This record gives sequence, structure tokens and C-alpha cells, in this order.
Amino acid sequence: MVDAALVVSNLAYGVLLGCVFAVIAHGLNLIWGVTKVVNVAHGEFIMLGAYGAYFFNVWFGASPLVIAPVDAAIGLAVGFAFYFGFLHRELKGKETIGLQSEMVTLVATFGLGLAISNAAVRVFKGDPRAVRWDPGAIDIGFMTLPLGGLYVAILSILIIAASHVFLTRTYLGNAIRAYSQDISAAQLIGVNPTYVAAIATAIGFSITMAGGALLTVWVPTGIDPYLGHLYAPISFVIVVLGGPGRMWGSLVGGLTMGIVIDVVQAVSSVSVAYATAFFLLIPVLLIKREGMQ
Amino acid sequence: MKVSLYPGPALYLVVGIFGGLAAVGPLLLLGFGSVVTTLLIYMALAYSLNLITGLTGYVHFGHVIFMGIGAYALGVTASAFRLDPLPGVLLGASLGFAFAVGIGLVTLRFRGAYFAIASLVLVLGTQNAILAIPQLGEGRGIFLNFGSFQPLSHYYTIWAIVFIEAFLTYWIKRGRIGYGIRALKGDEDAARALGVDAARLKLVLFSLSGLFAGAAGAVYAWTTSNLVPPVNFAIRFSLLMLAMIIIGGLGTDLGPLIGAAIVYLLSYVFATTPLLIGFDLIVIGVLVTVMALFLPQGIVGMVRERVPSLRKVLE
Repeated sequence: MVDAALVVSNLAYGVLLGCVFAVIAHGLNLIWGVTKVVNVAHGEFIMLGAYGAYFFNVWFGASPLVIAPVDAAIGLAVGFAFYFGFLHRELKGKETIGLQSEMVTLVATFGLGLAISNAAVRVFKGDPRAVRWDPGAIDIGFMTLPLGGLYVAILSILIIAASHVFLTRTYLGNAIRAYSQDISAAQLIGVNPTYVAAIATAIGFSITMAGGALLTVWVPTGIDPYLGHLYAPISFVIVVLGGPGRMWGSLVGGLTMGIVIDVVQAVSSVSVAYATAFFLLIPVLLIKREGMQ
Repeated sequence: MKVSLYPGPALYLVVGIFGGLAAVGPLLLLGFGSVVTTLLIYMALAYSLNLITGLTGYVHFGHVIFMGIGAYALGVTASAFRLDPLPGVLLGASLGFAFAVGIGLVTLRFRGAYFAIASLVLVLGTQNAILAIPQLGEGRGIFLNFGSFQPLSHYYTIWAIVFIEAFLTYWIKRGRIGYGIRALKGDEDAARALGVDAARLKLVLFSLSGLFAGAAGAVYAWTTSNLVPPVNFAIRFSLLMLAMIIIGGLGTDLGPLIGAAIVYLLSYVFATTPLLIGFDLIVIGVLVTVMALFLPQGIVGMVRERVPSLRKVLE
């Protein structure tokens, strides 16, 4: 007989975990949806955001919730630099991104990720660093939920909701959506493609780095420079699950991943849980027929 | 049907290089030790990835899976059945081929970034699956004992593999199938509209690349006498393989050879110079980024552009 309370508390944990997954994948989702470029170095920027949280925590004793906006501001600058360093050359003047350009961006961001993660090993050292912040736990009848995870989940949902409002209710957001749908038509109505793509990339990076800060709450054993090698693939699966460019898609994909990992882990082991979550990508791609000929 | 070898200056260069490597093999081994064999293993891996990523433009992050399957094939036959290493290499190659057919039938249906992501995610899935299977050592690995150390057998086995790969790359590019591959790399939809069987061509190349990666992985296990999943399935190897063909020149005949030599020598020099330890992958990463953005044709492509007289030889 399965214990109902155990199932519910596992689901609740999965939902909380899923929310933080959603926010770390959200930046990738935005950039992928708007510029059609997949940033292979996505995980490295999550990792940098997490280290931002670690250092601000050590220096000022700030909690990840407070650091997230600081990381987001840094992310804006990093995103602009990334756009003009990597994407502008391939995107400018083009109406669709061809397979050749796509391959160049995949390979270039792959090299960037390799360089960043290994530079991080030299700079931050390989030992895990824990971010000290524990607001305690809350009792809800039959189960106990970590307050840190709860706050992070709420903030994650707020970030995703805010990006949805920004994209659908503001002029700039509508311009970004117009660009993502049809670049030449957007230009016809006076949208500056470079400006819009750069802003979208910068916002994507700021969400990614803020997500890295929030993620530290879920890595109690400590963050290390290889953090991205796990969370980038998770983000890829989430974005495919939800559909690139669909803002609520991050939440759908994130919650699916969080619940799958948590439930499978409860009935078997961590390895089986992650293997299941990763292999999930293939049937999803086949069923959605996304990216297929 | 007549099968042509498409002789030309570029073929003579390939044959010359490998003839030379065969002739001076024992001397190289005396002078540099097993470094030479490891370098050839890297070259074999680079050539195998070049068959799919270089020739078709499909970025494959999961190549290490085939290498790992080959390594395990040799490891299990050698430790459990006490077989000779050579049948183990053949088994590794066949299993690499079989897995490539299986994986390729599914993932080659995805294009561009989706294929790259599916391949990256499959590696992590496989890695976690292996950690969950106790028969495969649960992450502790298997130690192999071949009795004696056989540097010459290592050398000539991997030499033969690289030579076949280099020749096959040359031959595929020039044959009828090569036209189809080039058309498919340029524009897959247009190629299909012209009657190119893109799905079959991609699967042929992918399964061949799996075969050779499996064989190279088996030789790798044979030379290191140790199987540890985090190493054998580490994404690091996939990254190095990609770096090699990007630096050397995607889809070229000699690019994998040159790229593998550069990447391997870089990591060797960095690993043996105390001040530089740990900086190799930073340099390789930056190199890959710069090459991708500014020299997408790699070193071979750059030389061809700068020195037109070499164009007939370097292809």
C-alpha cells in the first residue's frame, strides 16, 4: 500500500524543485525563442550566477533572494557582451538563421563554455562551496517543506510571470515577439532588429544568472565549477518540453522535470531518476515532431 | 561496377603520411613511448567524428558513447572471457556500429540544434544509466590485466584504424555518395528535392563513425588497462573530439589528423609543464571559439585560402 502522505510530499518537493528548474531554463528559452540560437554555454552562466551568490553571501552575508537581482544586473551586461561578441556576426542582416550559422553558433558557444568552466576551476578551485542560508522549514499538517525552496519557487514564478507581462503588455516586448516571428515584417513596422535581439539576449542572460543564484538553495552540498554540466542539459530538456519561445513553457517543462526526478528518485535511485529525465527528451521530441523534417 | 580509388595528389599525401607512420612506428615508440599510440587514438576519434559532423554539419556531442561502448566491449571480453584483445576491438567496432544505427535511426531525424541537444542529453542519460547498473562496476570501473604490455600491437592496430578512416574519408568525399553529402550539407531540403536520400546517407555516415569510434575506444581501453565510467563516458572526450576537428578543419581529409595533433600536443605540453597545469582546456576552448567565429574552415581551410598552390594536395 502506497502511503498517500508520502506521495503528496514527494509531489510537493518535485513542484518546488520544478520551479527552480523552470527559472534556470527560462533565460535559455527566451534567447532560443527570439534569436533561434541555442547557447551551449548556458550552464556556465548558471554556474557564474551561482558563484555570484556564493561570494555575495560570504562578503555581505546576503541571502540568494537578495543576490538574485544583483546577479540579474550583472547578467544584463554579460548578455549584451555575449550578443555583440557572438551572435551579432551571425544574425545581422539575416531573415532566418541558416543551418550553417546555427552550426557556427553551436560550436562557438561550445568553445566558450569549455573555456569558462575550466577557467572557473582555476579561479574558484574545484571544491564545493555551500551558500549559507537556511530560513528553516514550514510544517503543513503531514509534511514539512523547506522555506528556502518555497521562497525560491515563489520568486521563480514571479520572474516568469513578469517576463510574460513584459512580452505581451509593453511596446518593447511586442517588438521582441514580432522579431521572433518574422524579422523582415518586424523591420517593416519600424523595429530595429539588432536592438531588439540584443535586449532579448541581455534579458535572457540576466534571468539565467539570477536563476543560478536561486539554484544555490537547492545545492546544499555546495556548488562547483562543473555545476553547468548537469543543469544545462536539464534546461535543454525543459525548453524542448515547453517549446522554445513560450514563456509558460518553462514552467510546464520545469515542473515536469522536477516531478519526474523527484518521484523516480523516491522509488529507485538518483541515477535512475536523472537517466529517466534525460531520456524523456527523445519521446517528447518524437511526439511533438519539433525540429524534425 | 567499377570501383575507382579516385587517385590524386591528396590521396598520395594521405598514403605517404601513413606509409611513413608505419615505417617509423617502432622508432617513434622507442623515442616517445606510448604517447604516440595515444596520439593515434585521438586521431582515430577525430576522424570518426569528422565522418558525421565534418561531412554533414550535424554537431554531435554524444560521440563518447560509442567510444565508451567499444571500451566496455573490450573490457568485458578480456576480463570475463579471457579473449585476446583483437577480437575485443572487432567486437567494440561492431557494437559501436550497432548502437550508432540504433541511436541514429531516432536522433538523425532531428535537425540542427535539436540533434546537437539530443546527443548531449543522451550522453548524460547513458552516464546515469551506467551508474545504476551494478554489473558495469557501478562507477568503480573494471581493471584489465593483459599479462604483458604490447606497445607494438597497440600501435599497429590503431594505425590500421586511422589509415582506414583517412582513406574512407577521402573516398567517400569523391564518390557519387560524396555529391549527395555535399548537397545535404549545403541545404538538406533542396538536396531531398533533388532526389538525394538524405536519411540513408546520414545513417550510413553516422553508423560508420560509430564503428570507428567503437574500435578506437576498444584500443583505448586496451592501452590504459582500466575502465572507469566517469572517464570513458566523460563528456570531456566528446568535447576534445569536437575541438580537434574544428581546429583542424571540418570535413577535410587531413583536418582531423592536424587538429588531433594540435589538441593532443597542447594538452600534453600543458599537463607536463608545472606552471601551466589545468590551463589546457581553457586555451582549447578559446581556440575553438575563435576558429568557429573567424576561421570556420579550420587550419586546413585557412592554408587552402592563403596558399592556392596547395589546394590540390590539401583537400
